[in-house]
Amino acid sequence: MTLWQRLDGPHARPFAVLLACTLLLAAVDGGQGRFLSAATAYSTLQIFATISLVTLGLGLTMMIREFDLSVVGMYGMAGCIAVLMGTQHPWLGLWFALAIGVAAGIVQGFIIVRLNLSSVGLTLGGLLVFVGIAFVLTESRSLPYENLGVALVLNERIESIFSIRSIVAICFFVGAAAIFAWTRLGRDIIAIGSDRRAAMTAGVKVDPLVISIFAFSGLCASLSGVLLSYSLASASPAGLSDVIAPAAAGAILGGVSLAGGSGRPLGIAAGALTLAVLRSGLNAVGAPPFVNDITLGAVLLSVAVLDGPYLARRLIAARQWWRRAEGA
Amino acid sequence: MTERLSGRADSTIAAAAGPLRARFQQAQLSFWAQSLGMVILLVVVLATPGFLARPSILSLLTTVSFIGCVAIGMTLITISGNIMSFALGATVGVTAMVFILACNLLGFGAGLLVGLLFGSLLTGLQGLLIGWVRANPIIVSIAALALIYGVTQAFAEKGTIYAELGTVPAAAKGKVAGIPIEFIVFVLAALIAQFILSATRFGRNLLMVGSSFRAAEAVGVSTWRTVTGAYVWAGFFTSLAGVMLAIRYDSANMDYGVAYDYDAIAAVLVGGTAIGGGHGSALRTFVGAMVIAVVQVMLLLRGLRQEWQYLAAGLIVLTVIILQARGSGR
Repeated sequence: MTLWQRLDGPHARPFAVLLACTLLLAAVDGGQGRFLSAATAYSTLQIFATISLVTLGLGLTMMIREFDLSVVGMYGMAGCIAVLMGTQHPWLGLWFALAIGVAAGIVQGFIIVRLNLSSVGLTLGGLLVFVGIAFVLTESRSLPYENLGVALVLNERIESIFSIRSIVAICFFVGAAAIFAWTRLGRDIIAIGSDRRAAMTAGVKVDPLVISIFAFSGLCASLSGVLLSYSLASASPAGLSDVIAPAAAGAILGGVSLAGGSGRPLGIAAGALTLAVLRSGLNAVGAPPFVNDITLGAVLLSVAVLDGPYLARRLIAARQWWRRAEGA
Repeated sequence: MTERLSGRADSTIAAAAGPLRARFQQAQLSFWAQSLGMVILLVVVLATPGFLARPSILSLLTTVSFIGCVAIGMTLITISGNIMSFALGATVGVTAMVFILACNLLGFGAGLLVGLLFGSLLTGLQGLLIGWVRANPIIVSIAALALIYGVTQAFAEKGTIYAELGTVPAAAKGKVAGIPIEFIVFVLAALIAQFILSATRFGRNLLMVGSSFRAAEAVGVSTWRTVTGAYVWAGFFTSLAGVMLAIRYDSANMDYGVAYDYDAIAAVLVGGTAIGGGHGSALRTFVGAMVIAVVQVMLLLRGLRQEWQYLAAGLIVLTVIILQARGSGR
């Protein structure tokens, strides 16, 4: 196996892309110390904390060849619930929002399993309902969170680059990676994604596992929604809805395929971290904000085309056509 | 997604082998359930005070038309087996901007042409990638969404651009026989799309590609042309909405199409087009869009605040999706 093949392999690719992006940004910075600084590392980890948990939940549903669109709505709704409930007791708001997230995930997973539904359709319905609930709860306003102490604690720097938010996210990924490495669960999840019928025949308890993955996805989305709303000290029903693009992009960059059956938690972490590095790095070197959108779009588009199942066939056909045209 | 399609084909065959009578009864049942739902809705609507007053109906007809045109476009994408596009809302905004720019430079007629062409090409390009190398439609549309927002931000820093005075003729904002022009365009769009789907060879190919990609390929349908065509038409119908919004407000910005993707797919699903592709119609999407809009206006007239509309739309979509799954016996 050559070095290139090893770097392009499904498990190493997310880390190779992450490394390439970091080196590229360091080169753009040109040793001025804007990119490779503790401040940029801190803001990278803050962005990582904002998007990575949703990415993990969505990525796991993609691994079993489902797609949980409702994370977008859950993200916003959980933040609104926590801010409404948790002014006096932040923990109460947190637990309440998490419980609702898990319950909604279980209900959605249950319906999908029992009725054998397409998860895109059902979670789209879930998404619209969650957004609706968020609007009704907040009466279409942006809510301030009065308990500013919580926001300060959550964003306080620990060891100059971490914060409680990013440590929570990192703990989730370490936990998920450990489960994938040392238990059957990870292999069962991959098996469900590769071939559900075969997994069932092999004795994997498919239905409970699918339901729990949707529950986990609801948990991740609501947790990151709550943490973000607490740390911004506000929640709004509409403002959080642009989370689907980074979440899907992070999962795809992390080696999860929409066809199911591939991906690892650490890969997803690398994917989300790539996006965070890009955003904070571009910010640090003084690029205007739209550069981040364009980079994100370009990266996603290239991955989509490179992963297109007909790409090889089309290229071969094009080459043959080219040769014939040359010969004639 | 390919695997899912083939899985669907298996289950269709299995269902066809089942007792025909049971399936027939089920189809009848769902037909009656749908009709009953419509009658109940109609009664509640007519009993709502103020619904039949002219202003509320006119504003209903106008607002439903913008989302409705996007929904007609989305129908073609869903039928082609590519689920949905997240970029249509952004396409509405950017088409409106291109239209206003072209109007200011070239005049109204040329601007109209440029705007519609731009939207069709922009979406058609995504269709080309999806059809030609079979790139994942969800990812391509999310990438397109990010690119469209990024590029427009780079070009239009101020956000909103305005039409120069007198470029948009007043007749384009008026009514024909008391009906807003927007609604007439929406009805025409639904009819054109339905004609394409049920009376042309392209439409037949589209339904075939959507219901079984491999089978369509095996019988020699040029799948990439069909998918690209579906996206070109989807872009055309979507840009109609963008152009009409720009005409109505004499200006354009990227906020115009926000969340239209979700509203549009809601109308498509409520109309009864299958999310897995291969089955559906533009006229049903028309009905779906109208049902959602009527329910929302009714809630408003009954004194519930705006935010309940969002919740209602979500609950309708959820109910319809679950009922459809039961009705089709999958």
